[in-house]
Amino acid sequence: MTNEDSAPARSLDGTIWPQVDRALSGITASAERAVLDVIVSIPRDEVVRGLKALKADEALAFDYLRCLTCVDNEEEGIDVVYHLYSTKHHHNLTVKAHLAPDDLFVDTATTVWRGANWYEREAAEMFGVRFRGHPDPRTLLMPEDMTDTFPLRKDHPLAEIEVLQGEGIAWGVEE
Amino acid sequence: MTNAVQSDHDFEVQDIMINMGPQHPATHGVFRMVLAVDGEIVRDVIPHIGYMHRGGEKLSETMDFRQGIGFMDRTEYLAQFNAELSYVMAVEALMDIQVPERAQWIRMILCELNRLSSHFMFTGAFGTDSGVFGTAFTYAFRWREEIMDLFEEITGDRLMYAYFRPGGLAWEVTDNFAQRVKYVLDQCRQGIKDVDNLITNNEVFKARTQNVGIISAEDAIDWGTTGPVLRGSGVPFDVRRDEPYLFYDQVDFDVPVGQVGDVYDRWCVRIEEMRQSVRIVEQCMAKLQPGPIMPERMPRMLRTPPGEVYIRTEAPRGEYGIYMVSKGGNRPHRLKIRSACFTNLQALKDMSVGNYVADAVLILGSLDIVLGETDR
Amino acid sequence: MMTETLFGLPTGVDAAIRLLIVVGVMTVVVMALIYLERKVLARFQQRLGPTRTGPMGLLQSVADALKLISKEDIRPKNADPWVFELAPFLVFVPTFLGFVAVPFTIAWQVRELELGLLYVLAVSSVNILGWVMAGWGSDNRYAILGALRAVAQSISYELPLVLAMISVAMVANSLNLVEIVRQQATVPNIVWQPLPALLFFICLLAEMNRPPFDAPVGESEVVGGPYVEYSGIRWSMFFLGEYAAMFIMSLLGAAVFLGGGAWPLGEELGVGWQLALTVVKAGAIIFLMFWTRASFPRLRIDQMMSFSWKILLPASIAQILVTGGILVYNLPSGLEHTLLAVTSAIGVLFVYTAINRSVATPRPRPVVLVRRSEAAR
Repeated sequence: MTNEDSAPARSLDGTIWPQVDRALSGITASAERAVLDVIVSIPRDEVVRGLKALKADEALAFDYLRCLTCVDNEEEGIDVVYHLYSTKHHHNLTVKAHLAPDDLFVDTATTVWRGANWYEREAAEMFGVRFRGHPDPRTLLMPEDMTDTFPLRKDHPLAEIEVLQGEGIAWGVEE
Repeated sequence: MTNAVQSDHDFEVQDIMINMGPQHPATHGVFRMVLAVDGEIVRDVIPHIGYMHRGGEKLSETMDFRQGIGFMDRTEYLAQFNAELSYVMAVEALMDIQVPERAQWIRMILCELNRLSSHFMFTGAFGTDSGVFGTAFTYAFRWREEIMDLFEEITGDRLMYAYFRPGGLAWEVTDNFAQRVKYVLDQCRQGIKDVDNLITNNEVFKARTQNVGIISAEDAIDWGTTGPVLRGSGVPFDVRRDEPYLFYDQVDFDVPVGQVGDVYDRWCVRIEEMRQSVRIVEQCMAKLQPGPIMPERMPRMLRTPPGEVYIRTEAPRGEYGIYMVSKGGNRPHRLKIRSACFTNLQALKDMSVGNYVADAVLILGSLDIVLGETDR
Repeated sequence: MMTETLFGLPTGVDAAIRLLIVVGVMTVVVMALIYLERKVLARFQQRLGPTRTGPMGLLQSVADALKLISKEDIRPKNADPWVFELAPFLVFVPTFLGFVAVPFTIAWQVRELELGLLYVLAVSSVNILGWVMAGWGSDNRYAILGALRAVAQSISYELPLVLAMISVAMVANSLNLVEIVRQQATVPNIVWQPLPALLFFICLLAEMNRPPFDAPVGESEVVGGPYVEYSGIRWSMFFLGEYAAMFIMSLLGAAVFLGGGAWPLGEELGVGWQLALTVVKAGAIIFLMFWTRASFPRLRIDQMMSFSWKILLPASIAQILVTGGILVYNLPSGLEHTLLAVTSAIGVLFVYTAINRSVATPRPRPVVLVRRSEAAR
């Protein structure tokens, strides 16, 4: 994070941010320009409403969910990241919702796109994020009985897995 | 799952659960599919994945930007160059590196040849699924071997190439590259014609694959499918054309699009894509000029500025995306591999319900899954 | 008309000797066929087939037989013992019974039966019982699925097969296979009756579960079908039964449609030549079966059934009606034969068109090419 202050913030001119802002009327959203896309941050409680609005808007028409994942920012919490695309207008958008580290709940996006199903299952088992209202919250890649370990979190170590198998070390991972 | 039948006696009709896999000749890789079958009609499909999960995303967080390329090969192990390409393009986008022209052209050639070899593999495996056991397989693999011979000459490896680097290529291609590519293209042209003649107009094949496994365009978009699955349903979305990377906007090619969305359409789309790939490679070879393959000044240790990027390329199976978050340093903070097969498999249930058990195998085959990238 | 006993021996001893000849010849032939199939199929698929065991891999079948004999005989715990163990016999023995009536040459067959054609067809359909027993006795879902498919398929394709043969029998005016062979001294039956020949070949593939009709034993779906729980000798008996049936029915086809030992060199030919001709013709039919295996995907079970009931059965019934209609008028022989040939050839065209129209690609082109300039912006 130390280098960010010195890099100039890229301008949002010429991007689709104005239209996105208009479509998300009523929802407090902020935007920044990343390397390729515009990243829109929406508060957690309104993210599904915002996604629905983005899909329904005529000029934006984000009918295609490209990817849904989480990023673990350690003390600052977990970001849920949605990458959207419009097959009609051929533009992209990245939507982020920030989750506080002790409050890892967010509404499911399967009501907006059915294709969010497996992404949310994987994010739930890898990060411990609970997607409320998900139709099928079983584990996807992890074994069915390992629902208390969240491997992609930063505090889950990588090297000690070999020690775990056969040893039964307590993990100390918060629920 | 029980269906009560009205009659004098108390009958309880249950669906049979047929378990296919993870060891099964028809599931391409370690994939498990539980079919709830009523007689011969499929009522429900429950896919189970994760047998090949290796924790790749976590591993990639510990590997720096050159080491990470090796893992990309092992995810999409049939279209390796496309996977490596996404990764190195992500690093280049974060670090704002300009890749020399010659490297870009060679990358394009190799990616398209890889698309050819992956689709040959598909024709062989799909022919086996539909019952032409052996004939389609051996024919297709013969030409795939020609392509893999070329790759072995360039990279030294038959399957796990690790040839792309952020900034360009690892080393220069062989001296007789042009002749070899020309030879391989001739073989591929003949190969496409042979496979086409053997299978595409075969009456039994048409009877087996037409109007089977149909998915409509709206459903396909809603589920997030990509690649030949999406294009077979009529949606003309191809990352090479809509968001061109490398030099795809400077070559002329067509995007084949199906009309019904059944298994036959996906087959035809892939065969046509093979022909277009040959066309692209020819144009690239004509434009290839001598020059450097890496920028002059490349730092020994690659450190990316903080930022994030989502790079997408058109792998043979669909859109292969890399979402890389970097917080400075020489390793990615988060690497998410958006694999096409993972998303396409979600649509399997929609496609299969209502079809016969024998068709379930064909529908799975037409999705052309690679478990390495599904499970990572 | 019974043939004389061999060397004037009493009938019991004569029967025993003929039995031994049958079993011996059949075993050798079946092993040779297995080897040939592997080699021919391999050549179609651009590979070599067995090359290591013995010179040119000739001992491969022997090695396979030895391996299968030495395997442990496993029976599933919940399998019905009698049903499970008797099933291979019911598949294996009827084809050997069919051997009895098939003519190798005009003078040589095990027994010349007046109802030879009927006998062979009847006896070869007993193996359906064997499949049902195998599927049920195995106590395995895949086995039951495969067995039911096999039975449905067999019964459906039995009808066009028999009806096609009836048409040939009408033209030959006899069910005696030797008589039928004799009548083809100048022209084989396939010229007068191409449609029954085609029906015979297709139904043959289906009766023996050969690709493209091998849904019951589809390897990539119900792995092995009714045979999935069998191992060792029992499994090899199923296998042998299939190849023996292939051989017997090819001999039948050669005798009925291609002229057996009589065409093209006439009845007066020496026994050795007749034998060679018969074997060559049967070999041609068998080669055609291998070729079909290498070229076609597998038909789905419901497509197979509708193919039989909607296309083959009407065609065979129509063939019988037309043949009867032509024969009833007692026309001069040349005209009658020409009419038969022409109507039957039209029947073949009908079947071909019916197949093509049912799988026609309805759209003008399967795939539309979207040009780059048409990117919707």
